[in-house]
Amino acid sequence: DALGRGSAAGGLNQGINADSGLNGNPDDLSIVLPNLAPYLTFNPQVILYTTQPASKRWVLQAVTAAVREIIGPVVDRSVQIALISTRELITKDFAMEADENKMRKAAHLMVQNLASNLAMVTCKEPLRISMTASLRNIFVANGFTDAISEQAILLTVADNLDLVCTVIEKAAMEKAVSEIDEALLAAYATRVKHREQRINQPYFDVNVLSVSQYPLTLPEPLRLKPNGLQQPQMRVYEDFGHINRAINNQIASAESDRQVRNMRPEANPGYGYGHNVTGTTTTQGSGFDTAQVSAHQILEKFAQ
Amino acid sequence: INSDQLAQRSLQAEERIYALILDLMNPNLREQALLELSKKREMYDDLAIILWHSYGVVSILLQEIISVYPLLSPPALTAVASNRVCNALALLQCIASHSATRPLLLNAHIPLFLYPFLNTTSKTRAFEYLRLTSLGVIGAFVKNDNSEVINFLLSTEIIPLCLRTMENGSELSRTVAIFIVQKILMDDAGLVYICQTYERFYAVTTVLNDMVSQLAETQSIRLLKHVIRCYLRLSENPRAREALRQCLPDELRDATFAGILRDDITSQRYLNQLLINLLGN
Repeated sequence: DALGRGSAAGGLNQGINADSGLNGNPDDLSIVLPNLAPYLTFNPQVILYTTQPASKRWVLQAVTAAVREIIGPVVDRSVQIALISTRELITKDFAMEADENKMRKAAHLMVQNLASNLAMVTCKEPLRISMTASLRNIFVANGFTDAISEQAILLTVADNLDLVCTVIEKAAMEKAVSEIDEALLAAYATRVKHREQRINQPYFDVNVLSVSQYPLTLPEPLRLKPNGLQQPQMRVYEDFGHINRAINNQIASAESDRQVRNMRPEANPGYGYGHNVTGTTTTQGSGFDTAQVSAHQILEKFAQ
Repeated sequence: INSDQLAQRSLQAEERIYALILDLMNPNLREQALLELSKKREMYDDLAIILWHSYGVVSILLQEIISVYPLLSPPALTAVASNRVCNALALLQCIASHSATRPLLLNAHIPLFLYPFLNTTSKTRAFEYLRLTSLGVIGAFVKNDNSEVINFLLSTEIIPLCLRTMENGSELSRTVAIFIVQKILMDDAGLVYICQTYERFYAVTTVLNDMVSQLAETQSIRLLKHVIRCYLRLSENPRAREALRQCLPDELRDATFAGILRDDITSQRYLNQLLINLLGN
């Protein structure tokens, strides 16, 4: 139920539990969960991981269970939203672009980035809660209930949350790409057909440009040009790729760690120590004087 | 100044806006362009239409939005980052305010990208301002009593998100959040939706009741008028009316708010109507 029971806004896990038309089927089996072992970090401060090597297997089991609980609904919802936004905006912006490859490339970059960022922002807190609970269960089941194991749980969640998150992000990216191609299949095909017919006229999407007169009445500098998009225009969509690259780099380095470990298994009898993810650093700044004014302006719009 | 000069000036102003929209394409000029465009958004009637239909603009606004997602948890949003994304949100609000572009924005599911902002809890000004501005965009969607907008919002988590803000937000955020809930309630489908299960009704009235007990302290007429409107609308649903007979806060029945209601005849009238609705059998 969208409104939850008890605490008014309770049960609100960023939309995961919401009674939302956008939710997919939580039992969706289309997402294959990767082996999480190469992504896990075992903090050297946790003595347990040295004294009880089997405990690393419990952690893998607990984290896998936590990810499995969350990944399906998060990926489905993120992909569905990203898909619709991408389809609508790409169709509009590429209405006079004849090259379906340019369109496909832009659509891929956009949908991947929207889906993975939505997945990240949606899954992080639920994943933290779920990982903590799952780890506690498995520690208790193995007879560890003291304050030291609580500290081990906290450290393990803190060390692994971001990397495990990227696994969910990556699943969202992959699903988003295959679904956007399906959604734009007809749009790609009409461009191919237009080229094959050799009409010798610039391409334009009748569905977009016949519905609304606005695009063609825009001021000249802003109007779409008959010869398709120019490089600075394509850059808008290429910029969507920058955040993706950061995710891929994280995944790639986790995977190369695994390869190194696989080559020298004797060096790491357990799962080895991963690397810590560096937090986002930001510069502090000020400048709220203008902001406050417009906050009041926003409110004035609602004063009746 | 003669009319020729006026026309000349308005032409220059328009050309400045076109130049700023083109500046959005350039990452180095974007921050400044967002700031200037958001200041000018009231001055030019067709800005919403131009923003939507110009190549790349809405995609750029989405980029601005998702690029601050990593700063939400753990909370790391700076004032500068908050101002920048809020300027982008101000342009979305402009597009959402225009009847020709509102359905297009809705159809592309853009409001859903704001929900992660509403889900934050940090009390810093950067976050408070981000939540307030995001609520302002949703407020622009619901302002014109459009059932398509309400139906869309009902398929999302907006009600719990607004209720959370009504519980924990600043007074400004609370006012916009309860405005959104009020607009949803005023819609027939919205009223049915909220009164459909006891849990939903209970969630909404629990927050409203809490607001009433806080308002007994703060005596804010700005919030109270929305609270009264929400209860009055709920009382128009037979099952909710029955439940309200039991759970309407005493402060609305006694003289707690008599002082501030003296200066707001309309709200006093709505409160009287609410009490009359609850009197019948």
